[in-house]
Amino acid sequence: MSFGRFVLKRSLQGLGVVWGVVTVVFALRFVTPGSAINAVAPLDASQETRQAIAAELGLDQPLYVQYGQYIFDLLRGDMGFSYIRGQEVVGLVFARLPATVELALAASVVAIALSIPLGVLSATRRNQPVDYGATLFSLGGISTPNFWLGIMLILVFAVEFDVFNTSGRGVDVGDVAVSIVGSDPFVGTLLAWLAYITLPAIALGTYFMALITRLTRSGMLDELGKGYVQAARAKGLPNTLVRYKHALRNTLIPVITVLGLQLGTLIGGAVITEAVFSWPGLGTLVIDSINRRDWPVLQGSLIVIGTSFVLVNVLVDAVYAYLDPQVVND
Amino acid sequence: MRSDNDDRINRRTMLTYAGTAAAVGLAGCSGNGGDGSDGSDGSDGDDGTDGSDGSDGSDGDDGGDEAFELGVTMGQMDSGLDPQDHAETNTEIIVGQVYEGLLDRDKEGGIIEGLATDWERTEDGSVRFVLRDTSFHNGDPVTSEDVRFSIRRIVDDDVGIASPQKNDLGSVSEVVAGDGEVTVSFEGFNPIAFQLFATNGEIVQQSWIEENDGNFINRNTNGTGPFVVTEYDSGNEVAYEPNDDYWGGDVPVDALTMSASSESSTRVNRLLAEETDIVTNVPPQEVSRVESSDVAGINSVPSARIIFLQMRYDVEPFSSQQFRQAMNHAVDVESIIENVLNGFGNITGQPTLEGHVGHNPDIEPYPYDPEEAERLVDESGHAGVEITLQTPIGRYLGDVEIAQAAANQIDSLSNVSCSLEQREFSSLVQDITTGNIEDKPHFNLLGWGNGEFDGSQTITPLMTTEGALTILENEELDQLMVDAESTEDPDERVEILQEANQLAHDLAPWVFLHQQFSVYGVSSDISWEPRADEFIDPDTATQQ
Amino acid sequence: MVSARVIRNLKKEFRNSALAKIGLLLVVGILFTAAFAPFIAPHDPTEQQLDQSELPPLGFSETTERTTSQMVEGEIQTVTETVEITPDAAHPLGTDSLGRDMLSRIIYGARTSLVVGVLGTLLAAFVGVPVGLFAGYHRGNVDDVLMRIADVSLAFPSLVLAVALIGLWGRAAVNIPDPFVVAGLAPEMPESFVLPITVVIVVGLVNWVWFARVARGEALSLRSQEYVKASRALGADDTSIIWNHVLPNAITPIIVLATVQVAAIILLESSLSFLGFSGTTLSWGFDIAQGRDYISSGQWWIASLPGLAIMFSVIGINLLGDWLRDSLDPGIEGEGGAA
Repeated sequence: MSFGRFVLKRSLQGLGVVWGVVTVVFALRFVTPGSAINAVAPLDASQETRQAIAAELGLDQPLYVQYGQYIFDLLRGDMGFSYIRGQEVVGLVFARLPATVELALAASVVAIALSIPLGVLSATRRNQPVDYGATLFSLGGISTPNFWLGIMLILVFAVEFDVFNTSGRGVDVGDVAVSIVGSDPFVGTLLAWLAYITLPAIALGTYFMALITRLTRSGMLDELGKGYVQAARAKGLPNTLVRYKHALRNTLIPVITVLGLQLGTLIGGAVITEAVFSWPGLGTLVIDSINRRDWPVLQGSLIVIGTSFVLVNVLVDAVYAYLDPQVVND
Repeated sequence: MRSDNDDRINRRTMLTYAGTAAAVGLAGCSGNGGDGSDGSDGSDGDDGTDGSDGSDGSDGDDGGDEAFELGVTMGQMDSGLDPQDHAETNTEIIVGQVYEGLLDRDKEGGIIEGLATDWERTEDGSVRFVLRDTSFHNGDPVTSEDVRFSIRRIVDDDVGIASPQKNDLGSVSEVVAGDGEVTVSFEGFNPIAFQLFATNGEIVQQSWIEENDGNFINRNTNGTGPFVVTEYDSGNEVAYEPNDDYWGGDVPVDALTMSASSESSTRVNRLLAEETDIVTNVPPQEVSRVESSDVAGINSVPSARIIFLQMRYDVEPFSSQQFRQAMNHAVDVESIIENVLNGFGNITGQPTLEGHVGHNPDIEPYPYDPEEAERLVDESGHAGVEITLQTPIGRYLGDVEIAQAAANQIDSLSNVSCSLEQREFSSLVQDITTGNIEDKPHFNLLGWGNGEFDGSQTITPLMTTEGALTILENEELDQLMVDAESTEDPDERVEILQEANQLAHDLAPWVFLHQQFSVYGVSSDISWEPRADEFIDPDTATQQ
Repeated sequence: MVSARVIRNLKKEFRNSALAKIGLLLVVGILFTAAFAPFIAPHDPTEQQLDQSELPPLGFSETTERTTSQMVEGEIQTVTETVEITPDAAHPLGTDSLGRDMLSRIIYGARTSLVVGVLGTLLAAFVGVPVGLFAGYHRGNVDDVLMRIADVSLAFPSLVLAVALIGLWGRAAVNIPDPFVVAGLAPEMPESFVLPITVVIVVGLVNWVWFARVARGEALSLRSQEYVKASRALGADDTSIIWNHVLPNAITPIIVLATVQVAAIILLESSLSFLGFSGTTLSWGFDIAQGRDYISSGQWWIASLPGLAIMFSVIGINLLGDWLRDSLDPGIEGEGGAA
C-alpha cells in the first residue's frame, strides 16, 4: 500500500468515527431528562416555543427522519439554534475554536520542545543527577492536577511577582502576526501575547511534558540496549549520530502513538485550564453551556471537539506512517 | 502591586482582635456611597486617609487628550443582545448601554427623562408619554409606532417573542400611538406605572426588529442610548463606541468594553493589573487588597437587592408556619453578616428594604434563638426532619459561604438536619422561574433586586398566588396586594404595603437574611459613582 | 495468574527500587487515612467556627489587612485594620473561610478521592474488560464494531464527556453511614459519608475504553495459544474459555492498568469537583475551588494544601503502578486518560 492510499484509508476510517461522534451527540437528546425538547429548549420556555422547537426538530416524525434531518443540517453547517442565547450554535462554537487551538498548540510546542531533549538527556546520563531530576519532575508532572498547577502559577507569578496576566486573551497570535506588517510595535505585541499565554500554556503543557519525558527516557533506554546500537557503535559510528538518528527515531514512534491517544487528555485539560484562566475558548463555552443548560451549544461543541480529535489523530497517523513506512503495510 | 502601608502605619492604634488574632492597626476610611457629586469625589480620591493620591498623580497625567478607554468586568456575560428577551441583571447592563426606555433613573433611584420628555397620568388612569425627538443608531427617527411596538412586544406573547419581561410593565391593556406621544392603559389603576417604566421597557425600532431574525437581533444592536456596539464576542467581550448624536450630549468615554469573569479573584486581579476599570462584587476578603493598592479603590452602595432563603409552602416541612419561623430563629444573620460578609450587608426582617415604598419600620428581624427554633420545630411536628438547602454558586456576594453557614446553623439544631446543594445560578434560576411550583426547589437561597424601589415589586411576584416566582399562597396577602394595586392615594397604599410586610414577616415564607451591598472595585484613573439598582452607567464616569 | 515467579519479581523490584518503597508507603498511608478518618481527624471536617476562620497553618503568622463595613446614617463606612493572625495549635493546617479545620478536611477528602477512584476503576473494568476480551477473542465483525465504538468513545475527552453527562443527569449523591460513628466510636464526626454516585458512574463510563483496549490486545495474543485451542477442540463454550483461560492470563496487564486508572480517576474526580460537578462538598477539588478566591488575598493555604494532597496521592499510586509494571510485565506502557 502506498503512503497516499494509507492516508486515504485512515481518513475514511476517521470519517466513520466522526459519523459515530455525531450519532452519539444525536443520541444525547434521548438521555436528556424529560422530553427531547428539553435538550434544546430552556426549561422556562413557553408552550409555544416548545411546540415550535418540537416541529423544527421533527419530534413527531419517525426516528430515522429526525436523524436524517440532523445529519443533513450538519452537512449544511447548521448546528441548531441556542434558545438561551438566541443565536446560531455554529457561530458561537467557531468563534471560540481558535482560542482553544492556540492554547493547545502553545502547550504542545512547549511540552515537546522541552521534553524530548530532557528525556534523551535523562536516558543517556542514566543515574546521574540530571536523570534523577528529570524522573522526579516527570513523576510530579503526571501527578499534578493542572487546574491546581494553574492556580499555583497565578499565586506565584501574578500575585507575588506581577509578571504575567492571569486571565483572558487580551492579545492573540493573530495580533502578533499583524504587528509584523502593521503599525503596532512587533516586540511589544509579542511580549503582550506572551504575558497572556505563558501561564495557561505551562499549566496545560506540564502533564504532557512530563509524560513525553517519561516515554522518551524509557524508549531511549530500550533502544540503546538493543543490538543495532551496539553494532553501530562497534562499526565506529560517532555516539551522537547513533543516539539521535537511529535510537531517537525509533523511540519517537511509540511516543507519537501515545500522544495521539492522549490528545483527548489535552483537550480535556484545555477545558479546565481555560476555566482557571478565563481563557475564552471552547472549554469555557462547554462549561458555561452546561451551567446554563444550553444543550444545543454543548452538542455543537462536542461535535467540534470530537471531530478535531479525529482529525489530529489522522494527521498523527500520517506522520507515523511517514516516519515508519512499515505501518503502512500492517 | 505596591501597597501604601507606610501612610497607614502612622495611624496605627492597638486593639485586640477576636480570639486568636491580634490587631495591629486601624485606619478608618469612609466610602462616599450615595453622595452622588462626582466632582468632589474625584478630588478626594481615596478618601484622603491612605494618602495614595500623591502617587496617583502620575497616573492622572495620562488624562488630557488621550483617549478615555473604559473597561467593566462583571461576573457573567449576557445571554444575547435582544433587550426584550432576557430577565437578567448582567444582560441588562450590557444591552442597557445601547437601549433606553421611556423613563430613566438617576443614581439615587429618582425618575428622570428617557426617551420621553414629559409624562402624566390622564383622567381615565392611563399614562401618557411625550416622546423625545431623537433617532436610532441607524439614523431613523424614533416614532410613536416604534414605542407602541416595543411595549406590545414585551407584554403581548403574540407580538414577536414571548418576552420574559411580560409582567414588568404591569397589566397593559392598550397602547395608543399618537402624534409624538404614546398613551398606555392598564387593567386597573397601576399606581406604580411610572416606576415600572423608569426601570423597564426598552425601546426598539419596529422595522429593524421585523426585518431581522433572532440570531441577528441577539448579535447586533440598534438603540438610542449613549453607546453603540462595535464588536460582539458572545460570552466573552462586548466593545462599544460612543453615540456621537446622543440626545444626552457628549459621552465622555471614547471606547467601552464589557467583559466577565465568574471568579472574584480574577476580577480583582484584572483591576489591579489595570486591565479593567470597574469590577463588580469584590468579595469582603479582597476589599482591603483593593483599598491598599494605589491603582484602585472600593466604592460600595447598599443595593436594592435582598438575599433570603425561600421555603415552598406546599411541601413538608415548610408547609408549617412554625417550622418556617423556626428556620428564621435558627439562622444567625448578624453573625453571618459580620463574619462572612465583613459587615457588607444590612439585616432584614421583611421583604421590603428600608427606603423602599412600603417598608414597615416597626418590624424587627427575627432574633437568633436556637432554643426557640427547636421548640417551634417540635411544635410543628417535624422534629427529626432532613432538609436540603440549594444555593447558587457565585451569583451573589458570598452566596455559597452564606448558604454553608446558614445550613450549618440549621443543622446544629438538635431536631433538624440540613445539607447543602450547590447549583449553578443559571440552572437554579431556570427551576425557579418555571411556571409550576412543583418544579421549584423546596428550599433555596435567592437574591431579588427591586429596581422599582417599591415593596409591591417584591411581594407580588414572589409571595402572591399568581406571582411568577411565588412559593406562597395566602389569601390575606393576595388581597392586600390587590388592594395596593388599585389604591390611588399613595399614603393609603403605603399603609397597605406595611401591613403586607408585617404579614409576610409573620408568615415567614423566607428566612430573611440581608440587604446586599454592591461592592465595586474602581480604578483610580476614573471617577464613577455606583447606583443602588446595580445598573452600571459608564457614560457618567469621568477621567481623573 | 499470580505465580511464584511473579512474587519473586515483585520482591526483587521492591528491594532494588527506592521509588517503589516510597510509592507503597504513600499508598498505604492514604488508605489508612481514608479508612480511619474519624479517628485521625482532629475535628469534624464540616464543623464551622465563623470566628476562627482563615487561620494560617502552624508556623505561618499572617499580617493581613481586613476591611469591615457598617452603615452609618445611610452611608457605608469602611474600617481597615491591619491584623496579625497567628496560627492555633488546634488547627495545625489552619482553617478555611468558614473556620473549618483544613487538616480534617484533607483527611476526609482522601476518602472521597479513593472511593471514587477505586469504584470508578472497578466499574470501568467491569464494562471494558468483558467487551475487550470478547472482541479480541472473536475477532471479525464483532471486534470491528466494538473497536469502532471504542474509537468514538475515545474521541470525547473524558473530562468533557463527564461534565456533559453530569450536566445532563445532575449531581446525585448517596449517604453511606460511617460504621465507626454508627458504632459510637467517634461520636463527634459526620454520621455518613457522601458518595457522589453520578461521578462514579460517569468516570466509569468514560474510562471503560482503556480497559477494553488492553483486554482486547491480550485476548488477541492469547486466542492462538495452545491451551486455548485445546479447550476449544474439547468443545468448551466460548464464555467458559474466556472466563477460565483468557481472563486469568490477561489479568496482569489489567491490574497494572487499573492502578494507573485509579490515579487518573482521582485526577478526574478532583477536576470535576473543582468545576462544581460533584455531589459532595468534602473533596480536595472542591476545597481548591473554594480556596481559589482567597489566594490573592493572602490565604494561600486553602487552595494549596488540598492540591498537595492530590499530588502526593497520585504520585504514590503512579509509583506503585510503575513498580507493578516493571516487575510483572515490562512490555506495557502506562497509558490512561487523566485530567
